Amino acid sequence: MQPINLTIQKREATKWLEKLLEASEVIAPRRGRGGDIVFSTTTSPGEVLWDFGNPLHPPKQFILPQTDPIVKIQRNGQRHEVEPIYDDSPRVLFNARSCDVKGIAFLTRMHEMEPADASYLRRANRLTVISLACTTPCPLGFCVCTDSGPFLNDSYDVQLTDLGENYLVEVGSEKGKAAVSDVPELFRPATEGEVSQRKRLEIEAKNHFGQETCHFASAMRRVSTGRVPEALWERMSDWCLECGGCNLVCPTCYCFSVKDLGRDGAWIRCRMWDSCQYAAFTLEASGHNPRPQRKERMKRRFFHKASAQYYQRDGMVGCVGCGRCIKVCLGTTSMPAVVGAIRKGKWHE
Amino acid sequence: MTVPTTCPFCACGCGLYLLAEQGELVGVAPSETHPVSSGRLCARGWGAHEAALWGNRLRQPLINQHGRRETASWAEALDYVTGRLKDLIEAGKPVGVLGSPRASNEENYLACKLARAGFQTNNVDFCFHSVCGPLLAGLEDVCGEYAPSASLNDIEQSQTILLMEGDLARTHPRAAFSVLKAVEGGAHLVTLGYTRTQMARLSSLHLETTPGNEGEVIDSLLAAVLDLGLEDPTSIALHCDGVDALRRDLSSARVTEDACRAAQWLARAKRAVILMAPSSGQQRQARRDAAALASLAAITGHLRRPGSGLLPLLARSNARGARDMGVTQDYLPGHQPIGDGRAQQRLVDLWGKKLPSAGGLEAQSLLESVSGLVVLADDPPSVLPMGQRAMAALEKVEFLVVLDAFVTPTSSIAHAVLPIASFAETEGTITNMEGRVQEIHAAAGLPGEARPGWQVLAELCARFDGGVSYNSAPDVLKEIEQAVPRYAGMEQPASDDGWGGRWVKDFDGGKCKVSAAGVLGRPTDKHPHLLVRDEAFDWGRDPLISFSPTLSRDSQSERKLFPNGFVEMCKPCADELGIPVGRRAKLISVHGDAVLPIRLRADLKSGVLLVPYAFRDRISKVLGTEGVMAVKVEQA
Repeated sequence: MQPINLTIQKREATKWLEKLLEASEVIAPRRGRGGDIVFSTTTSPGEVLWDFGNPLHPPKQFILPQTDPIVKIQRNGQRHEVEPIYDDSPRVLFNARSCDVKGIAFLTRMHEMEPADASYLRRANRLTVISLACTTPCPLGFCVCTDSGPFLNDSYDVQLTDLGENYLVEVGSEKGKAAVSDVPELFRPATEGEVSQRKRLEIEAKNHFGQETCHFASAMRRVSTGRVPEALWERMSDWCLECGGCNLVCPTCYCFSVKDLGRDGAWIRCRMWDSCQYAAFTLEASGHNPRPQRKERMKRRFFHKASAQYYQRDGMVGCVGCGRCIKVCLGTTSMPAVVGAIRKGKWHE
Repeated sequence: MTVPTTCPFCACGCGLYLLAEQGELVGVAPSETHPVSSGRLCARGWGAHEAALWGNRLRQPLINQHGRRETASWAEALDYVTGRLKDLIEAGKPVGVLGSPRASNEENYLACKLARAGFQTNNVDFCFHSVCGPLLAGLEDVCGEYAPSASLNDIEQSQTILLMEGDLARTHPRAAFSVLKAVEGGAHLVTLGYTRTQMARLSSLHLETTPGNEGEVIDSLLAAVLDLGLEDPTSIALHCDGVDALRRDLSSARVTEDACRAAQWLARAKRAVILMAPSSGQQRQARRDAAALASLAAITGHLRRPGSGLLPLLARSNARGARDMGVTQDYLPGHQPIGDGRAQQRLVDLWGKKLPSAGGLEAQSLLESVSGLVVLADDPPSVLPMGQRAMAALEKVEFLVVLDAFVTPTSSIAHAVLPIASFAETEGTITNMEGRVQEIHAAAGLPGEARPGWQVLAELCARFDGGVSYNSAPDVLKEIEQAVPRYAGMEQPASDDGWGGRWVKDFDGGKCKVSAAGVLGRPTDKHPHLLVRDEAFDWGRDPLISFSPTLSRDSQSERKLFPNGFVEMCKPCADELGIPVGRRAKLISVHGDAVLPIRLRADLKSGVLLVPYAFRDRISKVLGTEGVMAVKVEQA
């Protein structure tokens, strides 16, 4: 769809949010404990943050929940009845950051691949993503290295840009159109000046990135052709404490395990977030584990994230440059640290 | 719902959010601003929601009547429990209470009150105390207190870290993270241990120890400090007693070159932290080892220096709190000896009851001698060193009451089961190993008819003339403040909307009494190998892990592959013995023998045979009452 550029006055945004709240659940960044910022369900427009660092816990939980009921299994006489569980509730993800929107788009592409994942897609189809472009890059972000920020040119339903007095409202999809159509009186078409101001802000933002960079291209060459020395994986793996945090907060990670939860005489088969860094991730029923050592699991993670083979299949590296793995890493093996080491062939030297 | 709370696993005390929908837990989110975890969680923390959601939960009070187990109403169950216990007490039979590091301060405090004021007995302890007790007692011998003098955040700022290694990366990942950061920043890490663990591989220096004889290396470090004149004269003059005796005791200690290097790093560091895991071997020796490490901190001036100090590594979340709340037979709440007149008077005034005068029993003996027992949120057979012998003892208890959130082997044989909330469904506080008192909050609804533990214990206390009633967990905390002076001021709300963890108040320990570890005998030609029971806590049998689909996978698989346990040894060791992989080894000591399959482990010192705590029953005949034993090994 051809993008539509609108404008809304900042003080009118509350009215828009009120309207959105009437129609569906609205998930937005809010204050947690002690200055934490968390994505959670909003009850009033006043709770929604407009000036905030991206929450450490990504919004992917609202499209791919940490515990995700997918099938109900019930005994019926001699047979078992299997009934899919769908979550068709409409949701709006409001003030998401560009990296997370790219992450959701990536997840949706993965789940659209044959065999398509109906459970995920039903939820995804009912999710409207309204993003807030990053006019100030976050200190640890490196989305410029992964083409997933600070501003978006696709993948959003609506993209907002802070223009001072107003927000520029770029509508990029039918779902986005629906999100603004209930209260057309709040929006007016954007002027050319406003659109060029957005472009200027994007360039300015790109010039203000922090220290973190991630040279995927050169790492990819080494990873894809098996030219990362075994000794390097081994050395790096001693700096990982196997917490799995990098996977769990990654906007593009979607690996899971499955377990049945007994409830009221039935079983609810749940998909649960899992981490390829856990020793038991590839543990087989026989007790055999094809990747018993941490270095092998680490190698696997970066092959999936940064090999040419996956890049060709997925259209991008498995990273949106959000920088969360830097903050959450219980060791020192975040994406930029490991990509840097692969590129240089050195670790902590 | 996004509910801030404290992680229930190890005693680092990380903060996390429990995520819940419609009263059921769905996940965990990290907190960037939490003072301990600052955005990071280990695998256990990330899976903290699972056990409460997936676990086999106790939902209804159960009582044994008419020869079978029946569900009961709360009133029936409480009447039954009270009646049976009162009958035993009136008949002059011994009763006791076991508290738990899996329970909150409020629950532990009420458990202590139930025993001492209600049952009029000092038979109160917690099972894990048998494992961590010697370590804490050793510290206390030197410092006059068991409280740590360093915090987790101090580790990262240290120039030198001395780590008495269990396997820090596995036991306390949060602490291991700080060690990694310090090492990355150029700090010297010195590890002491018999395994080349992950931390040992990253160390500047690994001092290899002999299991059960760790004291030899600690004494070598102490001697190196004194021989090289590296002691801190100010600290010695102000804070240390017994230095001359220490010198004498160390006169025959072997000072190695490595010990000298480590001693120099330690003494010259502006800031240094000594991390202490419980050491293997005999309890008495473990206590002396801990005392010697504390002495090392004292004479190098690190014990009382801000930013430096000692940190004992406690495996379970509220072990510290359980001790502070008086859930040990020889200390009243506030860690006052049971004979202390002032502390007694304070409690008598507070509780309006006289206190028992006879001494109590520690957990293992308690199990074996009481007729009536209340067990709070714990499974003694999976925690106590005595293993399945604890189950046999429990089976002999005339009346066993279990308060737990989960079905455990102990709850399965109890005469009465009172279902209580897990950490995810109740309010309260827990105290981490540093001494931070942090809140836990209810994120999910109570399963079935379960009630918060503090409520059930308060009800039991009232039925045993405990007096006051409590309306909430903070009400209990208010009373704790009076009973435990170092917890004063805890109940006030935090000044901002922050995490509000408060510190247990500092304790003026007075002078330190320094001492050496002393050296034990060595293996003989007849029994050339050392069989070691790994003291690392067996999380695999803890309901918080065993009921978590994600976290239980490793231990379940291990038990499936090795239902009868295994003994680990290094390849050179197996080769020398001529035992091929996949075969079993016969371990023979002066006490007896056992046959176990062998499993190779590359990082283990040659001559050492290691059996995980989970499989300790398999070698109990070989070990006798020890944790380390010289053995002869043959192919079975």
